[in-house]
Amino acid sequence: MTGIALTLNGEAVAAEVAPRLSLADFVRDRQGLTGTHIACEQGVCGACTLMVDGRPVRSCITLAVMADGAEVRTVEGWAGDPVMATIRDCFKRSHAVQCGYCTPGMLATAHDIVTRLPGADRARIRHELAGNLCRCTGYVGIVDAIEAALREVHG
Amino acid sequence: MSERGVGASIPRKEDDRFLMGAGQYVPDVQAPGLWHAAFRRAEIAHGRLISVRSPAVAAGRVFTAADMADIRPIRSIASFPGFKGSDFPVLAKEKVRHVGEPIAIAVAPTRAEAEDIADEIEVAYEELPAVVDLAAARSPESARVHDGWTDNLVCRTSFENGDLEAAKAAAAHSIVRRYKMARQTPFPMEGRGALAQYDGRLDELVVWMSHQLPHPMQRGIAHFLGLEINRVRVICPDVGGGFGLKTFLDGETLAVAWTSLRLDRPIKWVQDRFEHLVTDADCRDHEYSIAVHADADGRILGIECECVVDAGAYSPWPWPVGVEAATGVGNLAGPYDVGALHGRSVTVCTNKPASQPYRGVARPGACFTDELALDSLARRVGREPWEVRLDNLVAPAQMPYDNVARKHLDSGDYPEAFRRCVAAIDPAAVRERQKTPEPDGRLIGVGFAAFYEQTAYGTGPFGYSAWGIELVPGMEMATVKLTADGGLWASVGIQSHGQGLETSLAQVAASELGIDPDRVAIRHGDTATAYAGTGTYASRSIVVAGGAVAQGCRLLAPRLARIGAHLLQARVEDVTVAAAAVIGPGGSVSFAEIAEAFYHHPENLPDDTDRDGLTVTAGYNDKVHGGVFGFGAHGAVIALDPETGRIEILDYAIVDDCGTRVNPMLVKGQVVGGYAQGIGNALYEESPYDANGQPLAVTLADYHVPAAPMVPDPRYGYMESPSPYSTMGIKGVGESGAIGPPAAIGNAVNDALRVYGVEISETPITPRRVFAALARAGVR
Repeated sequence: MTGIALTLNGEAVAAEVAPRLSLADFVRDRQGLTGTHIACEQGVCGACTLMVDGRPVRSCITLAVMADGAEVRTVEGWAGDPVMATIRDCFKRSHAVQCGYCTPGMLATAHDIVTRLPGADRARIRHELAGNLCRCTGYVGIVDAIEAALREVHG
Repeated sequence: MSERGVGASIPRKEDDRFLMGAGQYVPDVQAPGLWHAAFRRAEIAHGRLISVRSPAVAAGRVFTAADMADIRPIRSIASFPGFKGSDFPVLAKEKVRHVGEPIAIAVAPTRAEAEDIADEIEVAYEELPAVVDLAAARSPESARVHDGWTDNLVCRTSFENGDLEAAKAAAAHSIVRRYKMARQTPFPMEGRGALAQYDGRLDELVVWMSHQLPHPMQRGIAHFLGLEINRVRVICPDVGGGFGLKTFLDGETLAVAWTSLRLDRPIKWVQDRFEHLVTDADCRDHEYSIAVHADADGRILGIECECVVDAGAYSPWPWPVGVEAATGVGNLAGPYDVGALHGRSVTVCTNKPASQPYRGVARPGACFTDELALDSLARRVGREPWEVRLDNLVAPAQMPYDNVARKHLDSGDYPEAFRRCVAAIDPAAVRERQKTPEPDGRLIGVGFAAFYEQTAYGTGPFGYSAWGIELVPGMEMATVKLTADGGLWASVGIQSHGQGLETSLAQVAASELGIDPDRVAIRHGDTATAYAGTGTYASRSIVVAGGAVAQGCRLLAPRLARIGAHLLQARVEDVTVAAAAVIGPGGSVSFAEIAEAFYHHPENLPDDTDRDGLTVTAGYNDKVHGGVFGFGAHGAVIALDPETGRIEILDYAIVDDCGTRVNPMLVKGQVVGGYAQGIGNALYEESPYDANGQPLAVTLADYHVPAAPMVPDPRYGYMESPSPYSTMGIKGVGESGAIGPPAAIGNAVNDALRVYGVEISETPITPRRVFAALARAGVR
């Protein structure tokens, strides 16, 4: 067991974890934050994407011990973030959600696109989304939503 | 009619929880004392089990088939001629018949520990020759997947209608082709999974399943475990996609349920992606031989075909293998006016996972076959394929039209929908472009596909007169009640796992009673709350559950009217039910006031108040047993790079007709989502095996699921031809989008290749297959 201390959704968390424990399993099983979904466990599908120190990270191939000292934000931790509020609203209006399983990871990547790439067009949005698989929507609603959020956030 | 009822593109009620990360899927469900399961699986495709030894430290934590002898045999039935059933093992008994077949369940406080135990189980086999190749499997010398069988054939079916000899005699051209659609996986983002827990207070086994069919699973689990149905509750919570995969009773779930009873402890198993890619490589895998006989202009006179399906090792419950092949033959005439169809199907057993239906079932393969053959015919007669298609499509004046495969095509203007798709693609402009070589050396091609979608099947195909299988749909129920505060609550036997039925069914109730959809709660996926139903599959739920909810509202309305009229001091003939109120000549009373009177102030009720209360359980009454028929036209423009074999979709157009659209935004979502899966089917997704039956695509490095850059925006159009048979004219639409892309893209590729005089005939159309076609032309 290894001791770690991190900031999780704005709150200080300390825990003893097995070295092999993934960050995804840590937030889900140890912290009860089941909004982070696991779908491939090999860093390809992006469903488990969450934020570590402000950058989108695949929590299935990140060990919990690697998050020692980091600031981690999951889908449950965006209260008060106006950009995420706009993104969520756009996701709903653009029918960017069907089964909802890829959604938390999509939201993390969408937040990264909207904040980092104010001028992204549809092709760039698609390129940036390449690491997040969705099996339901055909991505059209998701691209629509991110395009709309870019417009609303950046004018 | 509510403005937010049928026809309105309102946002989904379910999105709020998903967007907050508050959905609840099986992996998220917790229980006190929960242990986790992992499975030890077969590493070989075919072999006799000699021994299974678990480590001494794992005593009481590992169970095998020998422990589960009290589980009844799972045998799926069918009335196909010569159908050979095979027991579907919960855990392997005596033999393993595909890589990944579960042999033992191991349980521990965490999944990681359970996997550690599973890894330490020692399994000894006597390896047998694997039956992998379809042709070899059919030869008399082949090893047998099932020892007692005389050969590896599960069943044959045949279908004959019309005068084929006359068609052949009159034909100026006969196009003979072979096509193949590869095996793949359905790939929902959430795999299969289950949590079982015994509730001592209720003496009830509660099974949480990531599944599409709650009530059939309740029945199956009860039967095979030897329990009364009263003692089993199945809950299908939020489900992360299904696409047909989650419609059978898997051995893992039964093993989890059995183990939870044995240990009196909640047990959970969540399928991981490796397990999915290995054990759920279970769909498509068809080979077609087709002969299309046509006149000099390309008018189709008759079709002969054979569909051979590699069905894997077992018949799952409740869907036996054989349905897939029969569906393939039954759809080969497409949406065309054809005089004769003679078809045969062969279902073959191999050492691969048991075949399952996947979005479209065999229709994407049948469409790929008839549409590619039709383009070959057009090239033969020297006409454009879209013109030949228009000449052959069933005309609106012929509707309703009983086609040669005895499908009752109920409504629609197929030629007009197809013309709109052609106009969107503008193939004349593509022909112009093709006259000049592309600067980058790529070849441009244009292709189309047309198909009907049979939705919301009733008893017809499934029943004893046809397939004769275990689960026959046809009666779908809803319970509708007015709540004590004037809201509406409805429970249904279907299961929504991405379709947005919590919203669309609320819109149906909104249209019936004028109540806002936000005041309608739709409950699904739980045998304890829904009366009955067979679940969500075959593009049925909005038709059948929509019909049942509407019928419930229609039976509830007169009861509301009687109480409302009494409160208004009006005659019941003078009041109407609308806008969530009963409206009389001199005023109105809201549903809330009616509910207040019924539930809390019965002294205010008329003496003749219906004693049945303000709740109704009603069924969808299907007027036709073969379902209602939608239509789709797809068009694609592609660029093919002869240097790399890469195919890029430059343009894609869809015109879809699913009758009355309950929520147009959700309809488009279904069609476009299906289109993306169709692109995977056409270009990327394949689960190949080596000669020993070892799966070769077991990670996402090998198995390619379309990502956002691989799915260009399609141009989407629609028509609305209401069905004369269903409630409000609704037709299903869940599978439509997935049917057309392999055919439209395949035809576009063959159009690009026509300069070389070769055709592709297999999906996925990978660079390797493009190179093979170019090699046949002597180009590479």
